[in-house]
Amino acid sequence: MTKRLLLLVLVGALALPLAGCQTGRGSHRPDPNTLYVGAVQSSFPSAYMPWLSREGIAPTIANMLYSSLFSYDEETDRYLPSIGREWYYVDENGEPILTEDGSIDYARLEEIYSDPQYDYLAVKVIIHQDITWSDGVPLTVEDIYYSFDLATNHALSNHAGALAWTSDLKHKYNNGVLVEKGLFTYERGALEQGYHIDPAERDYVIYLHVNKVLGAVTPLFTSVLILPKHVWEPVVSRENQLNSSSPSAELLYRYTHPVGCGPWVLDTEQSGSQQIVLHRRQDYHLKKPDGSPLYGVDTIKFILYKEQNVALYALLKGHIDVLDSSVSSNYLLLFAKEKDLFVSNAPGTFTQTLVFNLNPVASERNPLRDLLANREFRKALALAVNQDELIKNVLDGAGVPASAGLMRPSLTDFYNPEADSIVPRDYAQRLALANEILDGIVPDKDKDGYRLLGGERISFKILGTPGEQDVVSFLQIQFKKIGIDVQYAPKGAQPESTYLYTSKFDLVLQGVIFSLSNVDIMYPAHFSTLGRTSNYGRLVNEGLNAAIEEMRYTLNLNRKYELLKEIQPMIAQEFYKVPLYTANVISVARTDRFTGFQVVEGSTVFNSESLQNLRRVEGR
Amino acid sequence: MKLSYVIKRVLYSLFVFAVVITLNFFIPRIGVEDPAERYYPPQGNMSEIEYEIVKQLTREQYGFHVSTWQQFLNYLKGLAQGDLGTSFRPGSPKVLDLIKERLPWTLVLSVSTMLIGLIVGVLFGVVAAVKRGRWQDTLLLNASTVMVALPSFFIALVLSFYLGFEWEIFPAYTDSTMVSEFAWTWEGISRVARNAALPVMSMMVGSIISYAQGTRNAVIAVTNEDFVLTARAKGLKRSTIRYKHILRNSLLPIVTSLGMSISGLIGGQVVIEQVFNWNGMGTLFLEANQTNDYPLMMGIMLLLSGFTILSILLTDLVYVLLDPRVTVGDKR
Repeated sequence: MTKRLLLLVLVGALALPLAGCQTGRGSHRPDPNTLYVGAVQSSFPSAYMPWLSREGIAPTIANMLYSSLFSYDEETDRYLPSIGREWYYVDENGEPILTEDGSIDYARLEEIYSDPQYDYLAVKVIIHQDITWSDGVPLTVEDIYYSFDLATNHALSNHAGALAWTSDLKHKYNNGVLVEKGLFTYERGALEQGYHIDPAERDYVIYLHVNKVLGAVTPLFTSVLILPKHVWEPVVSRENQLNSSSPSAELLYRYTHPVGCGPWVLDTEQSGSQQIVLHRRQDYHLKKPDGSPLYGVDTIKFILYKEQNVALYALLKGHIDVLDSSVSSNYLLLFAKEKDLFVSNAPGTFTQTLVFNLNPVASERNPLRDLLANREFRKALALAVNQDELIKNVLDGAGVPASAGLMRPSLTDFYNPEADSIVPRDYAQRLALANEILDGIVPDKDKDGYRLLGGERISFKILGTPGEQDVVSFLQIQFKKIGIDVQYAPKGAQPESTYLYTSKFDLVLQGVIFSLSNVDIMYPAHFSTLGRTSNYGRLVNEGLNAAIEEMRYTLNLNRKYELLKEIQPMIAQEFYKVPLYTANVISVARTDRFTGFQVVEGSTVFNSESLQNLRRVEGR
Repeated sequence: MKLSYVIKRVLYSLFVFAVVITLNFFIPRIGVEDPAERYYPPQGNMSEIEYEIVKQLTREQYGFHVSTWQQFLNYLKGLAQGDLGTSFRPGSPKVLDLIKERLPWTLVLSVSTMLIGLIVGVLFGVVAAVKRGRWQDTLLLNASTVMVALPSFFIALVLSFYLGFEWEIFPAYTDSTMVSEFAWTWEGISRVARNAALPVMSMMVGSIISYAQGTRNAVIAVTNEDFVLTARAKGLKRSTIRYKHILRNSLLPIVTSLGMSISGLIGGQVVIEQVFNWNGMGTLFLEANQTNDYPLMMGIMLLLSGFTILSILLTDLVYVLLDPRVTVGDKR
């Protein structure tokens, strides 16, 4: 009886799993014209209002469905056409301030706008004439005006990011009332402002007044995704703000059924919380030089993976074509054994640094941290950092040393190698120099290293994430060589609130990216501003601050470049954010169905250049 | 069952729930200077004044602009109307809607696991107890030792790799259209069963062992009781003694285990859901945590706490039905 019952229950219990047995092994990528893309994150977005898309894959999707005025090319320091066809600064009559070869005449710009009567720079933007929204309605400057106007009017948009992106636009609202006008079109005051617009171009020309900062146009051109006025204006009001905590049904419908002007359109039927399907727009206005579509695939299907190992297996077993996620260098050996794989080991843009708390608030000072206030002491620690060893051991060789001036050498126009000649190259020599410095500052030393006068061992805690423990371990070995002890301490989920803004740390690991497009914002945030900024160690250097200020406000691009070069050695000499390495971005794609994947600096293999170059493999 | 006992238990439960609601509201606010700052960290080259405006508007949007006590009262008012609040997610979805979307899929896994674990586990436990000291018992004891050392995420990854990716017997992870295309048809149900197979298998091994171990120990303890000896002396049939006398009296610890399992039914299994791409409550909580979505975290925690309190209450009441001698907190 017992045996029979046991058998019965066993059969019953196994019925459910057995019902799951697959009957056949069908292809995991059935559609030959679809690129299957894996994305590792916890969930896919359910709403696609571009300004609200901040997490995970949402910004990627938003940038595929919508467009900004221009995109920025770091390598050439140029704005590439998107909605906008061309732009330039103009004088008071709306005439372009350009040299004969068509580039911006910075000398004249400075000459004209140095006059204190101007508290703005005037910019003319001309947009493409053949752009349509995905619902077929033509895109005009009215859409541009509406988007910027909405972004600056918080009473309607209720969107902090939009306020930030447009903070350099001289178009201001106060509680829903326009107090300063900085946007001008044919029908919206351009003529009164003295700007001539040919009636034939009335729908395609807009003038902007921006703050007198060369970097002011960057967020306006590249961060604000333009919205269709005909879609949003009828439903956005003070009662139904764009970013509403209780959106009306009409708003919700627009969040979930996006109408964009980008190269892709969302398939709302097939998209959900675990997959997103995009189709290429046949009428996208940007084409290849031969007139063929800009992108090489018809459809992109993003598939959600919540666990990276599962996503990698899915790629290796041919369930997807490409993984939109960077992977650890530990996987390089695994990939080497596989066929039909394209491994992108792209140079990184993200520099890992070690930040010293050199000026803590009074309540957080102690004798150990007082040592960090001494620039020579910081220099001794910086001398002990061996970037080559860190790259070999932590990154398995997948990285490059970072410049002491924290600017990437690939940015040849303003990278200054002088920043890297401040300390000797030979590591043995550096260690000797470090000990020489330390002997002068901390005279008490035994076989285990340096001690304070009271006998306390000199030991600092380095805040990091669990994934950064190996970095700290190797730093521990390197600092031990000069007799200084360091220990790992967890950063926690909210390090800014719990440690960094409150000065409750000795050292912390921090990633930085500096480029021409962000230095106006990032240099003050990292080196000048005190309080709630990335200047965690509260560096105060009047000379550096003055140089950063001048760099930010100069209207002469050549002078800006000169200042950028001058600032890098100043940063290096502070030994405040000491570079550890710049890690490569490793990512992987299958080449059995599509080829043409491109390696792009700082990006995974799923990037815009790859999409433009992809070709179907014949017969697959 | 005494009515006074039931009333007392219900009142205890309501009191605990009130404490939970209070803690659930205040704990996320501890150490947070300004929730608006968490929701919208400083960004761009926004001036201090602009950022203050933004923070004020964010506070108003999510009701942080009034005093904490007023917020608490508003929270209670919302709860009374069945409103768990609004998530910080784009599109500001209602917390209750997000939970409703995920809960059924978590129940698919947890209820299947619990039922299989209960049935198979109890049966294995009885067999091991009856065959005490023989190979069936040794197998169970050894399996328990091994399973304690094997975390479920390891089992999940092994099953996903071999049964899913390598041999392709079951889907290695959830079909990305399973949820969006689900329909109450045989095909739809079978598709869910197919996708649930590996997650359920990953979880049920531990569940079976746990129930089997508990049942075995309880049955062995009851077998040595005097009333079993009496039943044997009366010449009752072996099966009658085993199932009517021994098993019934061994149910108390099993009911305790079951009660605890019920309370965990809706919580989801974060790691299992992650490995198998299963869109359940576990990953919903993880997402809320990763994005500092307080309203969502508070909503999920409240639901879990409420369900746990309810399941403990039910367990206590079932105890009395099974054993009328149970009088927790009552004067004898």
